[in-house]
Amino acid sequence: MLLEPAAYPEFGVLDAAVARRDWAGCRAALDAASPSGRTVLLQAAAESPDLEEWLRRLLQADPWDSTAAALLGMHLTKVGWRIRSSATAEHVSADQFRQFREWLRRAEAVLIDAAARAPHDPAVWAARLTTARGLQVDLAEIRRRHDRMVAADPHHLPGQRQYLQSLCPKWYGSWPQAHAFAHEAMTAAPPGAPQGSLVAEAHIEQWLDLGGEYKRAATAHLVGARDSLHDAANRSIWHPAFRRDPGWVSAASAFAMVFAQAGDQQSAARVFAMLGPLASRWPWSYYDEHDELVVIRRYRRRSASALTGGGR
Amino acid sequence: MITQSELDGVPVLLSPAPGLMRAGLVFRVGFADEPLARHGITHLLEHLALYPLGLSDHHVNGTTGVEHTSFHMQGPPDDVARFLAGVCASLQDLPMHRLDVEKELLRTEANGRGDGALDAMPLWRHGARDYGVSSYPEFGLPAITADELRAWAARYFTRDNAVLWIAGDRVPAGLRLPLPAGRREPLPTPSNTLPVTPAFFRGAPGVVAWNATVPRNPASQVFSDLLEREMFRALRQEAGLSYTAGSSYREFGADTAMVVAVADALPEKQEAVFGGLVDVLTTLQVGRIDQADLAIVVRQRGETLWNADQQGTRVAGEAAALLAGRRVRQVEDEIAEIMAVTVGDVTAVAGKAQDSGLLMTPRGVDARWAGFQPAPDRSEKMILGTAHAAHSDPDVHLITGEDGVTLADGDDHQTVRFDACSIVQAWPDGGRLFVGHDGIMVRVEPTLFRDGHDAVAFLDARIPPGLRVDQPARRPDQIPAPQSGRPRPEPPPTRAEKREARRIRAGYVLAVIFGLGIVSRILRFTGNRYGEDVQFAVLIVLLVGGVVIAGSLIRARRRRVA
Repeated sequence: MLLEPAAYPEFGVLDAAVARRDWAGCRAALDAASPSGRTVLLQAAAESPDLEEWLRRLLQADPWDSTAAALLGMHLTKVGWRIRSSATAEHVSADQFRQFREWLRRAEAVLIDAAARAPHDPAVWAARLTTARGLQVDLAEIRRRHDRMVAADPHHLPGQRQYLQSLCPKWYGSWPQAHAFAHEAMTAAPPGAPQGSLVAEAHIEQWLDLGGEYKRAATAHLVGARDSLHDAANRSIWHPAFRRDPGWVSAASAFAMVFAQAGDQQSAARVFAMLGPLASRWPWSYYDEHDELVVIRRYRRRSASALTGGGR
Repeated sequence: MITQSELDGVPVLLSPAPGLMRAGLVFRVGFADEPLARHGITHLLEHLALYPLGLSDHHVNGTTGVEHTSFHMQGPPDDVARFLAGVCASLQDLPMHRLDVEKELLRTEANGRGDGALDAMPLWRHGARDYGVSSYPEFGLPAITADELRAWAARYFTRDNAVLWIAGDRVPAGLRLPLPAGRREPLPTPSNTLPVTPAFFRGAPGVVAWNATVPRNPASQVFSDLLEREMFRALRQEAGLSYTAGSSYREFGADTAMVVAVADALPEKQEAVFGGLVDVLTTLQVGRIDQADLAIVVRQRGETLWNADQQGTRVAGEAAALLAGRRVRQVEDEIAEIMAVTVGDVTAVAGKAQDSGLLMTPRGVDARWAGFQPAPDRSEKMILGTAHAAHSDPDVHLITGEDGVTLADGDDHQTVRFDACSIVQAWPDGGRLFVGHDGIMVRVEPTLFRDGHDAVAFLDARIPPGLRVDQPARRPDQIPAPQSGRPRPEPPPTRAEKREARRIRAGYVLAVIFGLGIVSRILRFTGNRYGEDVQFAVLIVLLVGGVVIAGSLIRARRRRVA
């Protein structure tokens, strides 16, 4: 199985250019992508270790390069988040929190500068939607950042996913707010756009909140959402105009998961078939299993055997 | 064209203007020259000086500001001459029999000056001295004596510390300005209490305000205009977050100016207003400035200057410049300097502004994410001496020593040193309020601490001369009573809760103080120019509303904490 981001051929090119610190090569790979694809690639590249010194040198030479600034901002954010870990707040030490905030403030400083220089670069605003949560900026400011991102790119899936997180009750919102946003973003986007996956993502978050895989209520929630999930899939991943832009594997995986979990094995199998050997850790990382690949294989098998009428 | 001459040793600036003659006799003295323990002395003196002139048929007024005090009048030249001569005479023979009445009037008319919601900003930047004094009510009034007023007049109200401006066609025939000789008083050097900038503090609700010290030059003026334009565009037109969003440029000190930006915000939008302001400031700082926008604000400022010059309203500013030791400029020169400002000049100013910024955020907005550090609201050091435990809380101590007084709650303390103390307010019941040069306050309530009255007696014996200002007796219900020995119905509050409660109490005191200041401004401003009045009224409505909301919020939260 080929996991995101390696699932995207563009990422291989970018990753190699990052590894040899070839900024012209990076820019060539990034500039060729769609705005959303570019942000997804930047987020993936930001995972590479020890980028700060190189990127700061680049920015010193050209402070107006918002691609470098977005990458640096995302990189510093990832470093901070790694220190905080994904544990719930009560399991994070005071020192971890202090360091986490320090990294995020440094990221934010880079991004504030970049947003001032390149207000029309949606990657910068998408990055600022992530820092906003870590810095505990309130929903009004998060909404302002989202509005600025929309002004730069009206259908910017990677940033919309960040915004959706903020609208969930675990951050600042509520389920009605989260679902309403997902639905609006989907209907506002052109046919075949990936925004339908936001509808699936909102349901996944609620499923997790309801207790996830072990809770009947959580499964019942997804079963109840089946019609709207089908509608969303028809508008996005199953639409003929759907493009396999960087980020599409997560979008499709969201549908594979909700269909499989809701017992709609036929639809799940259809999505798995579409994905072929490609996969993403998210949303399978929400299962109580150390290795997401184990979960993915399990659900793939289950949907395939349901179709062929095989056992278990 | 402004022409300069001299009369009885006083420089005179004459600017041609249509309509009735206007004139202003300006002295280089204001709040920034007053020690806090005598804050109000200039204003009181201005009132006393005008009293003998009685009621006039014409518009007569006096104003006391941060750096200047002026007496002005509009009317026929003969009346102007009579008025000015009368002011000069009165300044040397103040009607001291009016002293108590005028103090009472000022107490009613009251206290604060400045811009209402922005009142607190000078104190957070400068502390309780020089340019910070204008943050406070006129705390010195009860202590001011007739002799002190005479000495103040003799020092500041002299012909060498005055300029007369006239907007009209001539210097009135027979005008005399009989003033004693003295010396030109230099502008005070602004104190600074901010260890790091950019800094922030939590202020009035519903308002995000920011100020910065910038060089006094045309580029800074243009920066302020561009900031206003960008704020209006980003916060009001595009995001719909603020109704009022603007910036102003004010000169202060010998060679500095202050840019002040203010935006109002609904409670649920205030962090977005702050975020939007940060983006606007950074946009200017990185130099992403549209040449067309620059051209527009330059043209507008040029037009404003030209019109002011034609109407004779620019000359008062030139009088202030002359008092600060600068030369008088003609409008053409000033406009030419504005026209010469480039994007690069503005960007340089924006960078300096960013570095020196002081931000006032509404409660609940933590500005650290944008690189602002909290302005200190407690002391680093404590006084060594005798500790008096609070009756209600063994963690809280009043510490009195040879060097001053500390109110301590664990690691959290407020200290005022005697050698850095601006005022001590003293009530007959023993209550004392110490305010340090840095603006930190220590309230000593003898009823709340073990051997509290001994502590007060110890402190009283060590208050440096000139700082104690005795207050009228408080009503019994205004004197805090120690908590009785009743058992607590709830577990004791945590340290964080106590700190929050104390912060809220301090906030409440300030809200009340500044609230009074605002009300007094409404009363005081009733006789002013129309345009300013309307603007001011809008601001007042906004701010009074804000203070009321603050009060209720604070009450609500106190209930939760208690």
